[in-house]
Amino acid sequence: MTPFGRFLLATLCGLVLAGLVHVAAVLAIPYLATGDALSQARATLANDTSVLVHAVETGGKAEGAPAAGWLPRQDPAVAVGICAYDLDDGPVRITAETGPLLETIALHGRNGAYYAITDQAALRGTVELVIMTKRQYDEALASADEDERNRDMRIVAPSREGFVSIRVLAALPSQQALANEAARSVSCTIDGPDE
Amino acid sequence: MLTKKVAPQAPVRAASPFLQRPPLRLLHGVAPLRRVGTVGLVLYALVLGAGLGLATANWATRGRYPFGGVVLNAWTAWPKIGARDADPYVRAIHARTGEVPLALGEGLLLTALTDESGRRLDPSCRYRIAGATPPSRAWTLTVERRGRTKAEAAGEPAGETGMAPRTGFTSTEVLRDRDGRFAVTLSPTVQPGNWLPMPAGEGSIRLVLRLYDTPVAASTGVLEREGVPSITREDCP
Repeated sequence: MTPFGRFLLATLCGLVLAGLVHVAAVLAIPYLATGDALSQARATLANDTSVLVHAVETGGKAEGAPAAGWLPRQDPAVAVGICAYDLDDGPVRITAETGPLLETIALHGRNGAYYAITDQAALRGTVELVIMTKRQYDEALASADEDERNRDMRIVAPSREGFVSIRVLAALPSQQALANEAARSVSCTIDGPDE
Repeated sequence: MLTKKVAPQAPVRAASPFLQRPPLRLLHGVAPLRRVGTVGLVLYALVLGAGLGLATANWATRGRYPFGGVVLNAWTAWPKIGARDADPYVRAIHARTGEVPLALGEGLLLTALTDESGRRLDPSCRYRIAGATPPSRAWTLTVERRGRTKAEAAGEPAGETGMAPRTGFTSTEVLRDRDGRFAVTLSPTVQPGNWLPMPAGEGSIRLVLRLYDTPVAASTGVLEREGVPSITREDCP
């Protein structure tokens, strides 16, 4: 083979390798990233209520707004609250009191969002969800009392770790405080065995 | 191939000098030592592969979604970013930026970088965003610039030194005509009606339409039927 042919072959090999590296890097980024929402949310794991990570400030400076937001630019009229969970400690119960504002709750796992619900699904002003693993779900079904109907909305999470995001829209600047408060006040507690 | 073996320099001279010169120089040095040459070429292939692969991966996951959008006139809808079957690029972008995407049942994100005729949004121009929006319980229309403004970069919170300029409208606060239609004017100078000030700072302009609690997210065919707001360039200095 001529030197030029060898060089061409090496370049071709390099390009093929580049393709492989590209695909591998893109697939590896979610596992190596430290600035992703799940890693950031983990800091709130001990909290019993959601933490406001993006405050509405359309009507002036918000009270108790997060100092350093790690979220990229969000909708300025939407307050975002976050609550991390770890299903190793047991199923997690999310309780949100809905108000007059549009509120959406989404569940995010390692691979992105897997469930979402809006305040229109609220029963008597509250949205209540129980997040569990497949195993916990099977256990709950097996140990359920036949005479008693369970009214929990159970959602099987694809992964052990994840977080809940709460978005509340302040349609008018005057609803700023209400929206921020609503995004901050969703409770996420571990559902104990003594329920 | 035969002529190349006899006189390796002849075809090189004939071809474009820009493309051929570096390999020639490289090969002159390594060709006599065949073994070193092989090692060099393998190293070259490895460096090329690693460098090019990492650079393109970095470029593709910098912040804006490379593909997967549904194009509707000037707008691009992103129904898959908050779904379980989001593609690996979307996942990588979210992991790098820390984004919490709008989930499939929450709403739909639409972005626009150009006007109706395909020209990039120019910060010195006046645009009219008008028409109807797809069915949803609420929507917000915001304008943003890629680079952070000086105040944001300095960590100066907006609102402390007075009111920050408006960056968007919600469906509740926008002024409408008798038929329920609206027209927002995006302009660097004050306008009557729904004036959306052109954001200050560096970088390209992006319009973002977020539909909340919308049945559209399930199938974007509804979007085509109901229509999206038009973005028309009105006046340029």
